[in-house]
Amino acid sequence: MSMLVARDLTVSATLDGERVPVINDLSFALQPGKVLGLVGESGAGKSMVGRTVAQLLPQNFAVTGGSLSFAGADLVTMDPEARRALLGREIAFIPQEPLSALNPVLTIGRQFDEHLARIGVASRDRRERMLAAFDAVHLQRGADLLARYPHQLSGGMCQRVLIAIAFASKPKLVIADEPTTALDVTIQARIVRLIAEMQERDDTAVMFITHDLRLAAQVCDDILVLYAGRASEYGPARKVFATPGHPYTRCLQLANPAMRARRALYALPERMPGLRAYRDIAGCAFAPRCPLVIEDCRRAPPPLVEVGAGHQAACIRAALAAGISAAAEAPGAEPAADATILEVSGLTKHFTSRSLCRRTHFTAVKDVGFVLRQNEFVGIVGESGSGKSTLARVIVGLETASEGRITIAAKPMDGSAEADAHRRRHVQMVFQDPQSALNPRRRVASIVTQPLEVAGQSWEARLARAGLLLREIGLPPEAATRFPAQLSGGQRQRVNIARALCAVPRILIADEIVSGLDVSVQAQLLNLLAALRRERGFSMLFISHDLSVVRYLCDRVLVMYRGGVVESGPTEQVFAAPAHEYTRTLLAAVPPDDPAEVWLSFRSHA
Amino acid sequence: MNTWPAWLRSGRVLLGLGIVALVALIALFAPLLAPNDPNEQNLISTFLPPAWAKGGETVFPLGTDSLGRCVLSRLIYGARIAMTVALVASFGAMLIGAVLAHVAGYFGGWVDWLIGRTVDVWMSFPPVILSLILMVGLGTGLRNVILAIVLVDWTRFCRVLRAEVLVVTRRDYVAAARLIGFSHWRTVTREILPATMPLLITLLSLEMGIAVIVEAILSFVGMSVGATTPAWGQMIADARQYIYDSPWNLVFPILLIFITVLGFNVLGDGLRRTLDVRLTETKRA
Repeated sequence: MSMLVARDLTVSATLDGERVPVINDLSFALQPGKVLGLVGESGAGKSMVGRTVAQLLPQNFAVTGGSLSFAGADLVTMDPEARRALLGREIAFIPQEPLSALNPVLTIGRQFDEHLARIGVASRDRRERMLAAFDAVHLQRGADLLARYPHQLSGGMCQRVLIAIAFASKPKLVIADEPTTALDVTIQARIVRLIAEMQERDDTAVMFITHDLRLAAQVCDDILVLYAGRASEYGPARKVFATPGHPYTRCLQLANPAMRARRALYALPERMPGLRAYRDIAGCAFAPRCPLVIEDCRRAPPPLVEVGAGHQAACIRAALAAGISAAAEAPGAEPAADATILEVSGLTKHFTSRSLCRRTHFTAVKDVGFVLRQNEFVGIVGESGSGKSTLARVIVGLETASEGRITIAAKPMDGSAEADAHRRRHVQMVFQDPQSALNPRRRVASIVTQPLEVAGQSWEARLARAGLLLREIGLPPEAATRFPAQLSGGQRQRVNIARALCAVPRILIADEIVSGLDVSVQAQLLNLLAALRRERGFSMLFISHDLSVVRYLCDRVLVMYRGGVVESGPTEQVFAAPAHEYTRTLLAAVPPDDPAEVWLSFRSHA
Repeated sequence: MNTWPAWLRSGRVLLGLGIVALVALIALFAPLLAPNDPNEQNLISTFLPPAWAKGGETVFPLGTDSLGRCVLSRLIYGARIAMTVALVASFGAMLIGAVLAHVAGYFGGWVDWLIGRTVDVWMSFPPVILSLILMVGLGTGLRNVILAIVLVDWTRFCRVLRAEVLVVTRRDYVAAARLIGFSHWRTVTREILPATMPLLITLLSLEMGIAVIVEAILSFVGMSVGATTPAWGQMIADARQYIYDSPWNLVFPILLIFITVLGFNVLGDGLRRTLDVRLTETKRA
């Protein structure tokens, strides 16, 4: 019998007094011991499904149609008291942000104890249960852990604690809402494996919500792809991945850079309609972005039809979907001219933290040296805390180096005003978080032409320049008069790039500029960077924790670990034959392109 | 209506602004509004009740005090002192406090340490005692009252604003401005100041209310403007001695101080609600 069955489930939101369906006629079934993946970009409604099951819907949202039954009982019509009793006991939830899910002022032990008390474990057994649960998620020294506060643990450890708590009641269903998005790749791999292990031990059904199709293909038995609150494809993970029946699934696949072979990215144009636009959609919601669109697509929403054994897709041209391929050519590894533009040698950066009676030194960057040539893209990869960002800040001059030399375009950076001016002419930085990097009180035109403000140029000259820059980075001209808050995340990041380009730098330093963006937006930005490089010719230091992105964009790669460079070389070579143990660990943590490959000794789906 | 800035559409702001504007207009046109010379003594008709009470005279709408001076006229002229002090003193305090706050928050390091500790020491004096000591040293007079309030209250601006400057300075757009080649001056005035301005304006309107009270306290103990200039605190001090003979004389100045300070506070609260980006942002989310 199925553990969780949704039939024509519809969830509506009340926005400004109007009722808008957010989830439309969704049907799926989840068997005990199986993993169902909900995949889609942000705004597709995947978290909303998870929240509906876990009864965590926001105030103005409600189930308005269909049924959702858990172990035979309908969750929608069930008495609220009985439903509440199921939560935590039979249905558990693993949240996206482990740190904000734990109460910062209570110890781990106290929070776990409260949970056990709620699910009815006798107080004399609780300690033992907690230690056993920590043991199961491979958390060492569980007894110490009980007395710790959440901020004393790393993000990965917090997530393990939450997994331990979720599985402590031996639930029948666990909902994992992007459980690894906020974590490093190596930790992501461990957490995913852990969830799989726990799930196999208790034969739990898991609903795994993720934006990463490749990860879902590895972890899940079935995949449900959502677009604008509707199911666009549903079927066994392997089949969905191998022969996608919906153009959206195929486009998501092509937007994700491959780890093995370098191929072009397919960048979906535009973006998903917002909630308020849902009711105006007459035909297929994906039609405006679909490469296969025909007139019939715009008439009526396509029904979910069988395209293979147990494999359904909501597309009238399903047979053609798997054949879509990216049109744009891959950014060929353009031979970098042999002129060195940036040279770093022996770079070290210490931080000193001073408390009342003690000074502690911390070395963020340790003896780093490398060369960046003209028109060359170099990637810097490593986990958080490996010193990537500090290195970038030292190179652009936001921090001063403790030791070592930086030479930019044949001029050593000696801290003189002249050297600083030289550096500003040659190097610009694109910051990670456009929310913080764009002044919310300036209009886009004013932001992108900030360098001209220093030169004292007239507003007319700046507007003209802003127009050119906006065209170059692919924003409509009317964006010039908008404020950053009126733009989408991807558009903001484009503005962020445009500002750095305004001064026509020869070196661009990009710190995690595509992380946290949807895969289609990420593909758009990566293609934009590749195009800008062809047209303008500049060098770039591209810092990222995402190896596949670096693989796609960069000619050479530096691998950083604990402040030092442990390996460097041409991207292809480093990725094909990693020399250092740490590089191998990093590479192994990325889910492979082909779900048939064995990853982290995951059980095969056969 | 919709073209008005948001802060002008808030009921609190309009109410506060209305009260403050009313008192300011009274102060501005005092010679036209006052029925009598505020300092003219009329020893035959002392302690007259308001005109509507039994024994009141229409010449003195709110009665007279112990020396037979017109209470209404004194109140109207007293508004001049109160408003001058409120506006000038709070602007002065804001100027010193804001400049030091931006310097401390933006540059950090030892500058921040020095300014922070100065504020700490400064604030450990009870403010009223400190201003009294200052007045003893400086001597009475309108200019010295303002100076005393400025020297006492700049710390309030400095401490609150510094924290805000610190938060804004950590934003990446400030770092980006520096990388583009903005000078320190331009970075602070173009990138940081616009972000701290709402808080600054809010603090300013609250400080005006405080300045009115401090001036009233100082003139109550006779340490403000000289005895020949009517001030609300002075009127309270005079009336206090004859509280059983003529309670009216005590009620009116207290009521006026209350209304004026309420006006500034309501205005400040309204501005905080409408200008504070964080509050409006959470509402939108």
